Amino acid sequence: MKLGITAFSMALSGLISSTAMAATPADQLVMAWNIDAISTFDPAEVSEIPASEMIYNTCDTLVSQSPTDESQVVPSLAESWTVSDDERTITFKIRENAKFSSGNPVRAEDVAWSMRRNLLLDRRNAGTMRDYGFNVDNMDDAFQVLDDRTFQLKLQQPFPVGLILQAVVANRMSIPLDKAFLEEKAEGDDYGNGYLKTKTACSGPYVLRQWNAGEVVVLETSDHYWGEKPAMRRVIVRHIPEPSAQRLLLERGDIDVARDILSADLADFEANPDIRVQSILRSQLQYMAFDTSEKPFDDPRVIEAIRYMFDYEGLSNTVMKGLGIQRNVLVPYGAFGALGLEEGAPYKLDLDKAKALLEEAGYGDGFSASVYLSTDPISAPLAQHLVENASKLGVKLNIEQMASSELFSRYRGRNFESIMSIWSTTLPDAHGMVSRFAVNTDNSTESGSSTYPTWRTSWSDPEINKMAEEAIFEKDPAKRAEIYRKLQLRHMSSSPFVYLYQLKQNVALRKEISSYSAHAFRTYYNGIKK
Amino acid sequence: MTDVTAQTGSERTRRLIHAFTAQCGSILVTLFGLCAITFVIGRLLPLDPVLAVLGDDASQEAYLRMSEEMGLNLPLWQQFVHFMWDLVRFDFGRSITTGHFVTDDLIRVMGATIELSVIALLIATILGIPLGVLAAAKYGRWQDHFVRVLTLIGYSAPVFWLGLIGLIMLYAKLGWVGGAGRLDVLYQYDFTPMTGLFLLDSALQGQWEVFGNLIQHIILPASVLGFTSMAYIARMTRSFMLEQLNQEYVLTAKAKGASALAVVWRHAFRNIAVQLLTVVALTFAFLLEGTVLVETVFAWPGFGRYFTTGLMAGDMNIVVPCTLIVGIMFIAINLISDLLYRTLDPRLRK
Repeated sequence: MKLGITAFSMALSGLISSTAMAATPADQLVMAWNIDAISTFDPAEVSEIPASEMIYNTCDTLVSQSPTDESQVVPSLAESWTVSDDERTITFKIRENAKFSSGNPVRAEDVAWSMRRNLLLDRRNAGTMRDYGFNVDNMDDAFQVLDDRTFQLKLQQPFPVGLILQAVVANRMSIPLDKAFLEEKAEGDDYGNGYLKTKTACSGPYVLRQWNAGEVVVLETSDHYWGEKPAMRRVIVRHIPEPSAQRLLLERGDIDVARDILSADLADFEANPDIRVQSILRSQLQYMAFDTSEKPFDDPRVIEAIRYMFDYEGLSNTVMKGLGIQRNVLVPYGAFGALGLEEGAPYKLDLDKAKALLEEAGYGDGFSASVYLSTDPISAPLAQHLVENASKLGVKLNIEQMASSELFSRYRGRNFESIMSIWSTTLPDAHGMVSRFAVNTDNSTESGSSTYPTWRTSWSDPEINKMAEEAIFEKDPAKRAEIYRKLQLRHMSSSPFVYLYQLKQNVALRKEISSYSAHAFRTYYNGIKK
Repeated sequence: MTDVTAQTGSERTRRLIHAFTAQCGSILVTLFGLCAITFVIGRLLPLDPVLAVLGDDASQEAYLRMSEEMGLNLPLWQQFVHFMWDLVRFDFGRSITTGHFVTDDLIRVMGATIELSVIALLIATILGIPLGVLAAAKYGRWQDHFVRVLTLIGYSAPVFWLGLIGLIMLYAKLGWVGGAGRLDVLYQYDFTPMTGLFLLDSALQGQWEVFGNLIQHIILPASVLGFTSMAYIARMTRSFMLEQLNQEYVLTAKAKGASALAVVWRHAFRNIAVQLLTVVALTFAFLLEGTVLVETVFAWPGFGRYFTTGLMAGDMNIVVPCTLIVGIMFIAINLISDLLYRTLDPRLRK
């Protein structure tokens, strides 16, 4: 009984004392984020933003994007590299002190094995590697081990070296994994895929310590990291799905960083001296796609009319306030070859023009069509806005919202009239988007090129195909940029894609966070300081 | 005399065994039906499990390979046989959306949900039954009106809104309770849960400071849930009680000079206890099944959110076992309240 009373009073005092204080430890970062999307930590499969961000903090690549400028490639696991005169071979020298979190040294064999593994497993990220000419048949020739510390990459097609470094070597699909360790953990011939779904086996500054789905991800510094030890010993990412709850936690100081911010909360945060907001333009576009194999969207004038039905400026000040900037072209701002901000956003709300275009196309009395949406929070209000404006011209659009796997299934199966969705690219180069949204060399049903949105919309432009091929193999950057410029201008008004906004990532930080290192593609946890 | 008792005794045992086997048989049939329906729904839904794994950017070859790996190219009856065989062995495989083994996930989320539901149910029952009885006993008076208004609010106020208001007032402004989540980050590493029921674990380990922090975090979501469940329990209690208080035996008891308290609690309440049991049991089942909105506001890693997230992503590896759990839970709770009925109601004992 006495024990019970003591216990009770201790619990009560705990209750009272812990309410008074609310501060996170000085050497730990606590972040709130909706991380429902995380489904795996295997670099061959990771594609969604949260897991991707964490992968780059737990796993080093041979070369990396500079924290201050994403278009610059900097050394990482490889301390240096040389390019052959014919620009077809890149030789990397791996750091002598580079070690995996298990303590095993990073060898060239690990690099080659990991790249082959990506192709052999053939999961989400294998396709990107094939895009650059690497496949199961040529991989033994392409990924060569010269000695323990020297790895050689042989280009199979004459792509520019800079592009290969960015798109292949610095990409998560080429992350060197701990071969010896994973071979022990492998189940059958899964190359450690089962293990890596919930763990990491890399050489980055952090190690994935714990992941409870729908609850928390905990990263801790690696004991064997080759570089400088990060200031934050531990990074705790708490899964807080509701933005309002994140806001309350941040205001009370129970977390250091809130990642999901409502547009409406931005102004309040700016007025709060304890909090500052850092806004980063993402490489992510909100867009619509139309099926050109059937009426009415087989006529580009109908799609051009849709472009004039959005009040971009009005939306920027309301629904999209702080969430994105108008962008009507396929290459996101910031990527190599991208059009400027003004040039990339020429459209305005003009219902008269839209009406004239519809009349020209023979739809003066309007038509009806369906719009499929995924369940992201931005698509619904934008689609609603379009429906209202379209109805003024007699166009009846029916919105259907669905789970993204259902939306993708219809979109890829050419079984839709129009969709609204979000596309993210991982490459700060025009080629990233052009290869998906401009090129289509075989539009036949048999080719089943469902990876390409161009094929999904049954659209192909031989002129654009030619320009894209010229650009990709052009070694002179100025000439390359010029081809992309022409390509974008042509694509902007003739393609079956209506680009609306380039999205922003807003991060709300407690004032104690003195430096937060992030750009469009990555957030560097080892650059965060309190 | 003894002979007769022995005979009726064995007769009763025989009948009980008979009833028990019949019950088991019907449960098995129900479960099989549930499995079959879940399977069919899983195949009818326009969700593509392969794309759920591979994503929008997957190549056609990768797509075909994965659908073979998942057994989706087999004839439907073979898929069903595989499906049932996995279920019988409790092998639900890995979740597509969380990457973990579904069984591990379920143990974790069920712990969080049971803890929350039990406390919410305690709050709901302790408040709901006396309030319902009070309203019935003071029928038409201000106490009755008060309870009716209170339960109306509990019934109609959206839990999402109640939760947010609670967080703003009690957490953000006053700092009386903990914010979203089960435990403060500070304690996350001082404490290793064993059973998934954190309160129990921390008490067993004698970690009273952690226990206090857990209480601080659970009290608000449990109160919000408890409040809405209380509304249901109180309203049902009130209507059961009103029915009893109009019976003639109540009049007789009053005529005999029994006090108002004795009439209500000793006579009338005993007659509604059995019905109330069903109400409380059903409330518990609903609480366990999932309280998605409360779990979302309070970032509570429970069953409801797990189920919903799986459903939205078309992750059949999650949807199937979760549907079965909900089904089994309702069957079990019905069965238990059925058994309790038999024990508590003398008319059913024969």
